[in-house]
Amino acid sequence: MKRIRHYCLAAIIQGALLTVTSLVAHAEDATTDGYVTRKEYEDLKSQMLAMKKELDALKKETAQKQGNAENQALVQSHKEVAPPESSQDQAVADTHKQVATEAPPPVVESEGSLLGTTKFLLAGWAEAMFEARNGNVSTFSASLNPLFLWELTPKILFDGRLEIEPSGGGTNVNLVNAQISYLLNDYVALGVGEFFSPSNVFVERFEPQWINKLPDRPIGVYHGVLPNISVGAQVRGGFPIGPTRVDYALYVANGPTLNTFSARTAGTLDFNSYTDNNDDKAIGGRVGFLPIPGVEVGYGFETSKPGFQGTTFADLRALVQSVDLEITRNSDLLKGRISLFSQYAWSKVDHAVYDPDGSLGFGPLPLTAKRDGGYAEIAYRPTQLDIDLLRNLELIFRWDHLSGDPSGLGDSSETRWTLGLNYWLSPSTVIKAAYEWDKPNGERNRNALFFQTAMGF
Amino acid sequence: MLKMLKRGLPIAVLLLFISTSMNLFADPKAKRKTASESSGAASSDSYMGLTGEQLWSNNCLRCHNIRPGTMYGNAQWDVIVHHMRLRANITGQEQRAIVEFLKSAK
Repeated sequence: MKRIRHYCLAAIIQGALLTVTSLVAHAEDATTDGYVTRKEYEDLKSQMLAMKKELDALKKETAQKQGNAENQALVQSHKEVAPPESSQDQAVADTHKQVATEAPPPVVESEGSLLGTTKFLLAGWAEAMFEARNGNVSTFSASLNPLFLWELTPKILFDGRLEIEPSGGGTNVNLVNAQISYLLNDYVALGVGEFFSPSNVFVERFEPQWINKLPDRPIGVYHGVLPNISVGAQVRGGFPIGPTRVDYALYVANGPTLNTFSARTAGTLDFNSYTDNNDDKAIGGRVGFLPIPGVEVGYGFETSKPGFQGTTFADLRALVQSVDLEITRNSDLLKGRISLFSQYAWSKVDHAVYDPDGSLGFGPLPLTAKRDGGYAEIAYRPTQLDIDLLRNLELIFRWDHLSGDPSGLGDSSETRWTLGLNYWLSPSTVIKAAYEWDKPNGERNRNALFFQTAMGF
Repeated sequence: MLKMLKRGLPIAVLLLFISTSMNLFADPKAKRKTASESSGAASSDSYMGLTGEQLWSNNCLRCHNIRPGTMYGNAQWDVIVHHMRLRANITGQEQRAIVEFLKSAK
Protein backbone atom coordinates (compact mmCIF):
# COMPACT_ATOMS: atom_id res chain seq x y z
CA MET A 1 0.00 0.00 0.00
CA LYS A 2 2.92 2.24 0.96
CA ARG A 3 4.55 1.34 -2.33
CA ILE A 4 1.36 2.27 -4.22
CA ARG A 5 1.35 5.63 -2.45
CA HIS A 6 4.98 6.21 -3.51
CA TYR A 7 4.10 5.41 -7.13
CA CYS A 8 1.12 7.78 -6.99
CA LEU A 9 3.35 10.53 -5.54
CA ALA A 10 5.95 10.00 -8.25
CA ALA A 11 3.25 10.11 -10.93
CA ILE A 12 1.84 13.31 -9.49
CA ILE A 13 5.31 14.91 -9.36
CA GLN A 14 6.04 13.85 -12.93
CA GLY A 15 2.67 15.12 -14.08
CA ALA A 16 3.31 18.42 -12.31
CA LEU A 17 6.74 18.72 -13.88
CA LEU A 18 5.32 17.95 -17.32
CA THR A 19 2.60 20.48 -16.80
CA VAL A 20 5.10 23.14 -15.68
CA THR A 21 7.43 22.31 -18.56
CA SER A 22 4.58 22.44 -21.01
CA LEU A 23 3.42 25.72 -19.55
CA VAL A 24 6.92 27.21 -19.72
CA ALA A 25 7.25 26.01 -23.28
CA HIS A 26 3.91 27.42 -24.14
CA ALA A 27 4.82 30.62 -22.36
CA GLU A 28 8.01 30.92 -24.47
CA ASP A 29 6.01 30.40 -27.69
CA ALA A 30 3.56 32.96 -26.58
CA THR A 31 6.28 35.55 -25.93
CA THR A 32 7.78 35.20 -29.52
CA ASP A 33 4.68 36.70 -31.05
CA GLY A 34 5.79 36.08 -34.77
CA TYR A 35 9.57 36.41 -34.25
CA VAL A 36 11.96 33.55 -35.10
CA THR A 37 13.97 31.90 -32.47
CA ARG A 38 17.74 32.02 -32.38
CA LYS A 39 17.76 28.41 -33.39
CA GLU A 40 15.50 29.02 -36.36
CA TYR A 41 17.60 31.99 -37.33
CA GLU A 42 20.73 29.90 -37.18
CA ASP A 43 19.07 27.16 -39.22
CA LEU A 44 17.91 29.59 -41.89
CA LYS A 45 21.33 31.20 -42.02
CA SER A 46 23.06 27.90 -42.53
CA GLN A 47 20.55 26.97 -45.24
CA MET A 48 21.09 30.27 -47.03
CA LEU A 49 24.87 29.90 -46.88
CA ALA A 50 24.58 26.41 -48.26
CA MET A 51 22.39 27.66 -51.14
CA LYS A 52 24.80 30.51 -51.87
CA LYS A 53 27.64 28.03 -51.96
CA GLU A 54 25.73 25.87 -54.40
CA LEU A 55 24.87 28.88 -56.58
CA ASP A 56 28.52 30.01 -56.70
CA ALA A 57 29.57 26.51 -57.63
CA LEU A 58 26.98 26.41 -60.41
CA LYS A 59 28.05 29.84 -61.71
CA LYS A 60 31.69 28.80 -61.71
CA GLU A 61 30.90 25.59 -63.55
CA THR A 62 28.88 27.40 -66.25
CA ALA A 63 31.54 30.07 -66.78
CA GLN A 64 34.26 27.46 -66.98
CA LYS A 65 32.33 25.49 -69.59
CA GLN A 66 31.76 28.64 -71.69
CA GLY A 67 35.37 29.83 -71.32
CA ASN A 68 36.72 26.43 -72.23
CA ALA A 69 34.65 26.37 -75.41
CA GLU A 70 35.94 29.79 -76.47
CA ASN A 71 39.49 29.05 -75.48
CA GLN A 72 39.36 25.79 -77.36
CA ALA A 73 38.34 27.76 -80.45
CA LEU A 74 41.14 30.28 -79.81
CA VAL A 75 43.73 27.59 -79.33
CA GLN A 76 42.49 25.84 -82.45
CA SER A 77 42.74 29.13 -84.34
CA HIS A 78 46.30 29.66 -83.07
CA LYS A 79 47.15 26.15 -84.20
CA GLU A 80 45.73 26.79 -87.63
CA VAL A 81 47.41 30.18 -88.05
CA ALA A 82 50.86 29.07 -87.06
CA PRO A 83 51.33 25.34 -86.83
CA PRO A 84 54.26 24.73 -84.50
CA GLU A 85 57.40 23.98 -86.48
CA SER A 86 59.79 23.20 -83.64
CA SER A 87 59.89 22.25 -79.99
CA GLN A 88 60.21 25.94 -79.17
CA ASP A 89 57.11 26.71 -81.21
CA GLN A 90 55.35 23.84 -79.47
CA ALA A 91 56.31 25.36 -76.13
CA VAL A 92 54.92 28.72 -77.22
CA ALA A 93 51.73 27.04 -78.41
CA ASP A 94 51.46 25.24 -75.06
CA THR A 95 51.91 28.54 -73.25
CA HIS A 96 49.18 30.03 -75.42
CA LYS A 97 46.97 27.11 -74.52
CA GLN A 98 47.72 27.43 -70.82
CA VAL A 99 47.17 31.18 -70.81
CA ALA A 100 44.00 30.80 -72.84
CA THR A 101 42.63 28.16 -70.48
CA GLU A 102 43.43 30.16 -67.37
CA ALA A 103 42.27 33.45 -68.80
CA PRO A 104 38.90 34.80 -67.68
CA PRO A 105 36.15 34.84 -70.30
CA PRO A 106 36.64 37.83 -72.62
CA VAL A 107 34.61 40.95 -72.05
CA VAL A 108 32.36 41.74 -75.00
CA GLU A 109 33.78 44.76 -76.84
CA SER A 110 31.26 47.55 -76.65
CA GLU A 111 33.49 49.97 -78.59
CA GLY A 112 31.47 49.68 -81.78
CA SER A 113 28.13 50.41 -80.18
CA LEU A 114 29.54 53.35 -78.22
CA LEU A 115 31.36 55.05 -81.07
CA GLY A 116 29.14 54.12 -84.01
CA THR A 117 30.04 52.06 -87.03
CA THR A 118 32.24 54.54 -88.93
CA LYS A 119 35.94 54.66 -88.20
CA PHE A 120 38.01 57.83 -88.36
CA LEU A 121 41.76 58.14 -88.06
CA LEU A 122 43.97 61.20 -88.19
CA ALA A 123 47.32 60.00 -89.46
CA GLY A 124 50.07 61.69 -91.47
CA TRP A 125 53.51 63.02 -90.79
CA ALA A 126 55.49 66.08 -89.77
CA GLU A 127 59.03 67.18 -90.53
CA ALA A 128 61.55 69.90 -89.75
CA MET A 129 64.64 70.48 -91.87
CA PHE A 130 67.78 72.57 -92.11
CA GLU A 131 69.29 73.01 -95.58
CA ALA A 132 72.52 74.78 -96.49
CA ARG A 133 72.94 74.81 -100.28
CA ASN A 134 75.82 76.44 -102.09
CA GLY A 135 74.60 79.62 -103.78
CA ASN A 136 71.50 79.89 -101.59
CA VAL A 137 70.99 81.19 -98.09
CA SER A 138 70.74 78.43 -95.53
CA THR A 139 67.29 77.96 -94.07
CA PHE A 140 65.14 76.02 -91.67
CA SER A 141 61.79 74.71 -92.87
CA ALA A 142 58.94 72.69 -91.41
CA SER A 143 55.70 71.13 -92.51
CA LEU A 144 52.71 69.29 -91.12
CA ASN A 145 50.96 66.81 -93.38
CA PRO A 146 47.75 65.55 -91.76
CA LEU A 147 46.11 62.58 -93.42
CA PHE A 148 42.39 62.17 -92.80
CA LEU A 149 41.15 58.60 -93.14
CA TRP A 150 37.46 57.91 -92.79
CA GLU A 151 36.14 54.39 -93.21
CA LEU A 152 32.36 54.68 -93.60
CA THR A 153 31.93 50.96 -94.14
CA PRO A 154 34.52 48.19 -94.58
CA LYS A 155 34.25 48.86 -98.33
CA ILE A 156 34.16 52.67 -98.48
CA LEU A 157 37.11 54.85 -97.49
CA PHE A 158 37.82 58.55 -97.82
CA ASP A 159 41.45 59.62 -97.67
CA GLY A 160 42.54 63.21 -97.87
CA ARG A 161 45.83 64.91 -97.05
CA LEU A 162 46.82 68.50 -96.46
CA GLU A 163 50.26 70.06 -96.59
CA ILE A 164 50.66 72.93 -94.15
CA GLU A 165 53.92 74.86 -94.09
CA PRO A 166 55.20 78.28 -93.10
CA SER A 167 56.05 80.48 -96.07
CA GLY A 168 57.14 84.11 -96.08
CA GLY A 169 55.01 85.91 -93.54
CA GLY A 170 52.19 83.38 -93.54
CA THR A 171 51.26 79.75 -93.83
CA ASN A 172 50.61 77.77 -97.00
CA VAL A 173 47.86 75.19 -96.92
CA ASN A 174 47.61 72.86 -99.91
CA LEU A 175 45.23 70.04 -100.61
CA VAL A 176 47.51 67.18 -101.61
CA ASN A 177 44.85 64.56 -102.30
CA ALA A 178 41.19 63.81 -101.62
CA GLN A 179 39.80 60.51 -102.78
CA ILE A 180 36.74 58.36 -102.19
CA SER A 181 37.35 54.69 -102.84
CA TYR A 182 35.19 51.60 -102.95
CA LEU A 183 36.34 47.99 -102.65
CA LEU A 184 34.45 46.12 -105.37
CA ASN A 185 35.83 42.70 -104.44
CA ASP A 186 39.07 41.14 -103.20
CA TYR A 187 40.92 42.08 -106.37
CA VAL A 188 39.35 45.34 -107.60
CA ALA A 189 39.08 48.77 -105.97
CA LEU A 190 37.61 51.91 -107.49
CA GLY A 191 38.60 55.47 -106.64
CA VAL A 192 37.55 58.97 -107.66
CA GLY A 193 38.93 62.36 -106.75
CA GLU A 194 42.44 63.71 -106.45
CA PHE A 195 44.96 60.93 -105.98
CA PHE A 196 48.66 60.17 -106.18
CA SER A 197 49.36 59.23 -109.77
CA PRO A 198 49.62 55.43 -110.00
CA SER A 199 52.05 55.75 -112.94
CA ASN A 200 54.63 57.19 -110.52
CA VAL A 201 55.51 54.63 -107.88
CA PHE A 202 57.77 57.05 -105.97
CA VAL A 203 55.01 59.51 -105.08
CA GLU A 204 52.54 56.74 -104.31
CA ARG A 205 54.78 54.91 -101.88
CA PHE A 206 57.93 56.77 -100.87
CA GLU A 207 57.03 60.45 -100.85
CA PRO A 208 56.21 60.91 -97.11
CA GLN A 209 59.33 62.15 -95.41
CA TRP A 210 59.30 59.48 -92.73
CA ILE A 211 59.38 56.88 -95.55
CA ASN A 212 61.66 58.69 -98.02
CA LYS A 213 65.09 57.81 -96.68
CA LEU A 214 66.81 61.05 -97.69
CA PRO A 215 65.84 64.61 -96.75
CA ASP A 216 65.05 65.68 -100.32
CA ARG A 217 63.27 63.86 -103.12
CA PRO A 218 64.78 62.63 -106.36
CA ILE A 219 64.56 64.99 -109.31
CA GLY A 220 63.35 63.32 -112.46
CA VAL A 221 60.50 61.41 -110.87
CA TYR A 222 59.42 64.08 -108.39
CA HIS A 223 58.28 67.28 -110.15
CA GLY A 224 60.20 66.19 -113.23
CA VAL A 225 59.18 63.88 -116.03
CA LEU A 226 56.25 62.11 -114.33
CA PRO A 227 52.92 63.25 -112.88
CA ASN A 228 52.62 63.39 -109.11
CA ILE A 229 48.95 64.06 -108.54
CA SER A 230 46.04 63.25 -110.85
CA VAL A 231 42.41 64.35 -110.71
CA GLY A 232 40.10 61.72 -112.13
CA ALA A 233 39.05 58.12 -111.53
CA GLN A 234 41.01 54.92 -111.11
CA VAL A 235 40.61 51.18 -110.86
CA ARG A 236 43.29 49.16 -109.10
CA GLY A 237 44.11 46.01 -107.21
CA GLY A 238 46.26 42.92 -107.11
CA PHE A 239 45.89 39.22 -107.74
CA PRO A 240 48.02 36.11 -107.33
CA ILE A 241 49.45 34.08 -110.20
CA GLY A 242 50.73 30.87 -108.69
CA PRO A 243 53.24 31.79 -106.00
CA THR A 244 53.80 35.24 -107.55
CA ARG A 245 51.61 38.33 -107.54
CA VAL A 246 50.65 41.03 -109.99
CA ASP A 247 49.35 44.45 -109.04
CA TYR A 248 47.77 46.94 -111.38
CA ALA A 249 46.27 50.43 -111.58
CA LEU A 250 44.53 52.11 -114.49
CA TYR A 251 43.25 55.68 -114.40
CA VAL A 252 41.70 58.45 -116.44
CA ALA A 253 42.51 62.02 -115.42
CA ASN A 254 42.74 65.64 -116.49
CA GLY A 255 46.35 65.23 -117.52
CA PRO A 256 49.24 67.69 -117.88
CA THR A 257 49.45 71.04 -119.66
CA LEU A 258 51.97 71.74 -122.41
CA ASN A 259 54.26 74.73 -121.84
CA THR A 260 54.40 76.81 -125.03
CA PHE A 261 54.94 80.41 -123.96
CA SER A 262 58.62 80.41 -122.98
CA ALA A 263 61.77 79.36 -124.81
CA ARG A 264 63.17 77.85 -121.62
CA THR A 265 60.24 75.53 -120.98
CA ALA A 266 58.83 75.02 -124.51
CA GLY A 267 57.74 71.40 -124.93
CA THR A 268 57.86 70.52 -121.26
CA LEU A 269 54.81 69.19 -119.41
CA ASP A 270 53.31 70.98 -116.43
CA PHE A 271 51.93 68.32 -114.11
CA ASN A 272 50.91 70.81 -111.43
CA SER A 273 47.95 72.16 -113.35
CA TYR A 274 45.08 70.16 -111.92
CA THR A 275 42.25 71.65 -114.01
CA ASP A 276 41.99 70.46 -117.60
CA ASN A 277 42.72 72.59 -120.65
CA ASN A 278 40.86 70.44 -123.21
CA ASP A 279 38.24 67.72 -123.59
CA ASP A 280 40.82 64.97 -124.00
CA LYS A 281 41.56 62.97 -120.89
CA ALA A 282 44.86 61.42 -119.95
CA ILE A 283 44.95 57.64 -119.58
CA GLY A 284 47.61 56.03 -117.49
CA GLY A 285 48.47 53.19 -115.21
CA ARG A 286 51.05 50.85 -113.81
CA VAL A 287 51.58 47.11 -113.70
CA GLY A 288 53.80 45.61 -111.03
CA PHE A 289 55.10 42.05 -110.74
CA LEU A 290 56.27 40.46 -107.48
CA PRO A 291 58.20 37.26 -108.31
CA ILE A 292 59.23 36.68 -104.68
CA PRO A 293 58.35 38.50 -101.44
CA GLY A 294 60.21 41.78 -101.13
CA VAL A 295 60.94 42.17 -104.85
CA GLU A 296 58.80 44.14 -107.30
CA VAL A 297 59.36 45.36 -110.85
CA GLY A 298 56.93 47.76 -112.46
CA TYR A 299 56.06 49.66 -115.59
CA GLY A 300 53.99 52.85 -115.58
CA PHE A 301 52.71 55.09 -118.35
CA GLU A 302 50.47 58.03 -119.13
CA THR A 303 49.30 59.20 -122.54
CA SER A 304 47.54 62.53 -123.05
CA LYS A 305 46.91 65.51 -125.29
CA PRO A 306 48.44 68.35 -123.25
CA GLY A 307 47.88 71.27 -125.66
CA PHE A 308 45.25 73.94 -125.05
CA GLN A 309 41.99 73.30 -126.88
CA GLY A 310 41.61 75.41 -130.03
CA THR A 311 45.35 75.99 -130.49
CA THR A 312 47.77 74.42 -132.99
CA PHE A 313 49.04 72.27 -130.09
CA ALA A 314 45.65 70.69 -129.40
CA ASP A 315 46.35 67.46 -131.29
CA LEU A 316 49.86 66.84 -129.96
CA ARG A 317 50.20 63.67 -128.00
CA ALA A 318 52.46 63.21 -125.01
CA LEU A 319 53.62 59.88 -123.66
CA VAL A 320 55.42 59.41 -120.36
CA GLN A 321 56.75 56.02 -119.31
CA SER A 322 58.50 54.70 -116.25
CA VAL A 323 60.17 51.51 -115.11
CA ASP A 324 60.89 50.77 -111.47
CA LEU A 325 62.50 48.14 -109.29
CA GLU A 326 62.08 47.76 -105.52
CA ILE A 327 63.94 45.22 -103.44
CA THR A 328 63.83 44.92 -99.66
CA ARG A 329 65.42 41.85 -98.12
CA ASN A 330 66.70 40.77 -94.74
CA SER A 331 70.07 39.11 -94.95
CA ASP A 332 71.85 36.90 -92.44
CA LEU A 333 74.98 37.38 -94.48
CA LEU A 334 74.89 41.14 -94.09
CA LYS A 335 73.37 41.05 -90.58
CA GLY A 336 70.69 43.46 -91.59
CA ARG A 337 68.26 44.73 -94.14
CA ILE A 338 69.13 46.04 -97.55
CA SER A 339 66.75 48.13 -99.66
CA LEU A 340 67.11 49.08 -103.29
CA PHE A 341 64.67 51.50 -104.87
CA SER A 342 65.11 52.67 -108.44
CA GLN A 343 62.96 54.27 -111.10
CA TYR A 344 63.68 55.72 -114.50
CA ALA A 345 61.23 57.74 -116.60
CA TRP A 346 61.18 59.34 -119.99
CA SER A 347 58.70 61.53 -121.83
CA LYS A 348 58.05 62.51 -125.41
CA VAL A 349 55.78 65.16 -126.93
CA ASP A 350 55.00 65.02 -130.68
CA HIS A 351 56.88 67.31 -133.01
CA ALA A 352 55.62 70.91 -133.04
CA VAL A 353 56.77 74.41 -133.89
CA TYR A 354 56.70 76.67 -130.87
CA ASP A 355 56.13 80.43 -131.35
CA PRO A 356 55.63 79.85 -135.09
CA ASP A 357 55.18 83.54 -135.96
CA GLY A 358 57.85 84.82 -133.60
CA SER A 359 55.37 86.91 -131.65
CA LEU A 360 56.71 85.55 -128.33
CA GLY A 361 60.25 86.50 -129.29
CA PHE A 362 61.89 83.07 -129.44
CA GLY A 363 60.37 81.32 -132.48
CA PRO A 364 59.92 79.67 -134.69
CA LEU A 365 61.29 76.80 -132.61
CA PRO A 366 60.69 73.33 -134.13
CA LEU A 367 60.96 70.66 -131.48
CA THR A 368 60.23 67.04 -130.61
CA ALA A 369 60.37 67.42 -126.85
CA LYS A 370 62.06 64.54 -125.04
CA ARG A 371 63.08 64.35 -121.41
CA ASP A 372 64.26 61.66 -119.08
CA GLY A 373 65.22 61.25 -115.48
CA GLY A 374 65.37 58.81 -112.62
CA TYR A 375 67.09 57.64 -109.50
CA ALA A 376 68.63 54.63 -107.83
CA GLU A 377 68.93 54.40 -104.07
CA ILE A 378 70.47 51.76 -101.89
CA ALA A 379 70.17 51.61 -98.12
CA TYR A 380 71.54 49.31 -95.46
CA ARG A 381 70.44 48.96 -91.85
CA PRO A 382 72.14 46.45 -89.52
CA THR A 383 68.90 45.23 -87.97
CA GLN A 384 70.39 41.97 -86.70
CA LEU A 385 73.10 43.51 -84.54
CA ASP A 386 72.67 43.45 -80.76
CA ILE A 387 73.81 47.01 -80.11
CA ASP A 388 70.84 49.41 -80.21
CA LEU A 389 72.93 52.35 -81.35
CA LEU A 390 74.14 50.48 -84.43
CA ARG A 391 70.86 48.70 -85.11
CA ASN A 392 69.05 52.02 -85.41
CA LEU A 393 71.48 53.47 -87.93
CA GLU A 394 70.82 53.36 -91.66
CA LEU A 395 73.27 54.27 -94.39
CA ILE A 396 71.86 55.51 -97.72
CA PHE A 397 73.35 56.32 -101.07
CA ARG A 398 71.39 57.77 -103.99
CA TRP A 399 72.06 58.76 -107.57
CA ASP A 400 69.49 60.85 -109.35
CA HIS A 401 69.32 62.60 -112.68
CA LEU A 402 67.14 64.86 -114.82
CA SER A 403 67.89 65.74 -118.42
CA GLY A 404 67.94 69.37 -119.53
CA ASP A 405 64.96 71.22 -120.91
CA PRO A 406 64.18 69.94 -124.43
CA SER A 407 64.61 73.34 -126.10
CA GLY A 408 68.23 73.50 -124.95
CA LEU A 409 67.53 77.04 -123.78
CA GLY A 410 66.37 76.31 -120.24
CA ASP A 411 67.77 74.33 -117.35
CA SER A 412 70.68 72.10 -118.19
CA SER A 413 70.83 68.46 -117.20
CA GLU A 414 71.46 67.74 -113.55
CA THR A 415 73.00 64.74 -111.86
CA ARG A 416 73.28 64.44 -108.09
CA TRP A 417 74.96 62.04 -105.69
CA THR A 418 73.73 61.95 -102.13
CA LEU A 419 75.11 60.19 -99.08
CA GLY A 420 72.95 60.02 -95.98
CA LEU A 421 72.99 58.63 -92.47
CA ASN A 422 69.76 58.10 -90.54
CA TYR A 423 69.06 57.28 -86.92
CA TRP A 424 65.68 55.70 -86.17
CA LEU A 425 64.19 56.77 -82.84
CA SER A 426 61.09 54.63 -83.48
CA PRO A 427 59.76 52.72 -86.52
CA SER A 428 58.34 55.98 -87.87
CA THR A 429 60.55 58.67 -86.33
CA VAL A 430 63.91 59.39 -87.91
CA ILE A 431 66.76 61.87 -87.72
CA LYS A 432 68.52 62.29 -91.07
CA ALA A 433 71.82 63.87 -92.06
CA ALA A 434 72.89 63.99 -95.70
CA TYR A 435 75.32 65.62 -98.05
CA GLU A 436 74.48 66.09 -101.72
CA TRP A 437 76.94 66.63 -104.55
CA ASP A 438 75.02 68.57 -107.19
CA LYS A 439 76.65 70.13 -110.22
CA PRO A 440 74.35 70.98 -113.12
CA ASN A 441 76.14 71.07 -116.48
CA GLY A 442 77.78 74.42 -117.14
CA GLU A 443 76.87 75.84 -113.75
CA ARG A 444 78.66 76.15 -110.44
CA ASN A 445 78.01 73.44 -107.91
CA ARG A 446 74.91 73.46 -105.77
CA ASN A 447 76.16 71.05 -103.14
CA ALA A 448 73.97 70.87 -100.09
CA LEU A 449 74.04 69.79 -96.46
CA PHE A 450 70.79 68.63 -94.86
CA PHE A 451 69.55 67.79 -91.40
CA GLN A 452 66.00 66.63 -91.03
CA THR A 453 63.69 65.07 -88.47
CA ALA A 454 60.54 63.37 -89.66
CA MET A 455 57.80 61.62 -87.75
CA GLY A 456 54.97 59.49 -89.13
CA PHE A 457 51.87 59.14 -86.99
CA MET B 1 85.90 59.48 -111.12
CA LEU B 2 82.36 60.68 -111.72
CA LYS B 3 82.30 59.06 -115.15
CA MET B 4 83.48 55.78 -113.67
CA LEU B 5 80.68 55.94 -111.11
CA LYS B 6 78.18 56.77 -113.83
CA ARG B 7 79.22 53.73 -115.82
CA GLY B 8 79.48 51.51 -112.78
CA LEU B 9 76.10 52.29 -111.26
CA PRO B 10 73.91 50.48 -113.82
CA ILE B 11 76.21 47.46 -113.59
CA ALA B 12 76.04 47.53 -109.80
CA VAL B 13 72.26 47.76 -109.91
CA LEU B 14 72.09 44.84 -112.33
CA LEU B 15 74.42 42.72 -110.21
CA LEU B 16 72.41 43.49 -107.11
CA PHE B 17 69.21 42.45 -108.82
CA ILE B 18 70.71 39.21 -110.10
CA SER B 19 72.24 38.33 -106.76
CA THR B 20 68.94 39.06 -105.05
CA SER B 21 67.10 36.90 -107.50
CA MET B 22 69.56 34.12 -106.75
CA ASN B 23 68.60 34.47 -103.11
CA LEU B 24 71.94 35.73 -101.88
CA PHE B 25 69.96 37.92 -99.52
CA ALA B 26 67.65 35.11 -98.55
CA ASP B 27 65.22 36.23 -95.94
CA PRO B 28 65.40 33.65 -93.17
CA LYS B 29 62.03 34.68 -91.76
CA ALA B 30 60.10 34.61 -94.99
CA LYS B 31 59.72 30.87 -95.21
CA ARG B 32 57.23 30.06 -97.88
CA LYS B 33 55.04 27.15 -96.93
CA THR B 34 54.06 24.61 -99.50
CA ALA B 35 50.44 24.09 -100.44
CA SER B 36 50.36 20.78 -98.59
CA GLU B 37 51.66 22.42 -95.42
CA SER B 38 49.03 25.09 -95.54
CA SER B 39 46.14 22.98 -96.76
CA GLY B 40 44.91 22.38 -93.25
CA ALA B 41 44.89 26.04 -92.35
CA ALA B 42 41.37 27.26 -92.83
CA SER B 43 41.89 30.41 -90.79
CA SER B 44 41.57 33.77 -92.53
CA ASP B 45 44.96 34.66 -91.05
CA SER B 46 46.78 32.97 -93.92
CA TYR B 47 46.96 33.46 -97.65
CA MET B 48 48.96 31.77 -100.39
CA GLY B 49 50.66 29.67 -97.73
CA LEU B 50 51.85 32.76 -95.87
CA THR B 51 50.68 33.68 -92.37
CA GLY B 52 49.32 37.10 -91.49
CA GLU B 53 52.64 37.87 -89.81
CA GLN B 54 54.59 37.02 -92.97
CA LEU B 55 52.20 39.02 -95.16
CA TRP B 56 52.49 41.97 -92.75
CA SER B 57 56.27 41.80 -92.85
CA ASN B 58 56.56 41.22 -96.62
CA ASN B 59 54.12 43.89 -97.70
CA CYS B 60 54.79 46.67 -95.20
CA LEU B 61 58.57 46.36 -95.35
CA ARG B 62 58.49 46.87 -99.11
CA CYS B 63 58.17 50.60 -98.45
CA HIS B 64 58.73 51.42 -94.78
CA ASN B 65 59.59 50.12 -91.32
CA ILE B 66 56.93 47.86 -89.88
CA ARG B 67 54.94 49.12 -86.93
CA PRO B 68 53.96 46.72 -84.13
CA GLY B 69 50.37 45.65 -83.54
CA THR B 70 50.37 47.37 -80.15
CA MET B 71 50.93 50.78 -81.75
CA TYR B 72 47.28 51.21 -82.79
CA GLY B 73 43.86 50.04 -81.63
CA ASN B 74 41.79 47.45 -83.48
CA ALA B 75 39.55 50.02 -85.19
CA GLN B 76 42.61 52.04 -86.20
CA TRP B 77 44.27 49.01 -87.75
CA ASP B 78 41.08 48.39 -89.76
CA VAL B 79 41.38 51.86 -91.29
CA ILE B 80 45.15 51.80 -91.78
CA VAL B 81 45.25 48.44 -93.54
CA HIS B 82 42.24 49.41 -95.68
CA HIS B 83 44.18 52.50 -96.76
CA MET B 84 47.36 50.49 -97.35
CA ARG B 85 45.45 47.93 -99.40
CA LEU B 86 44.61 50.70 -101.86
CA ARG B 87 48.12 52.10 -101.86
CA ALA B 88 50.07 48.84 -102.11
CA ASN B 89 47.52 46.90 -104.21
CA ILE B 90 47.31 43.96 -101.82
CA THR B 91 44.36 41.60 -102.17
CA GLY B 92 41.32 41.42 -99.89
CA GLN B 93 42.51 38.11 -98.41
CA GLU B 94 45.89 39.61 -97.60
CA GLN B 95 44.20 42.61 -96.00
CA ARG B 96 42.09 40.40 -93.73
CA ALA B 97 45.01 38.17 -92.78
CA ILE B 98 47.20 41.15 -91.89
CA VAL B 99 44.47 42.83 -89.84
CA GLU B 100 43.77 39.59 -88.00
CA PHE B 101 47.46 39.19 -87.21
CA LEU B 102 47.86 42.79 -86.02
CA LYS B 103 44.86 42.51 -83.76
CA SER B 104 45.97 39.16 -82.31
CA ALA B 105 49.50 40.48 -81.80
CA LYS B 106 48.31 42.63 -78.95
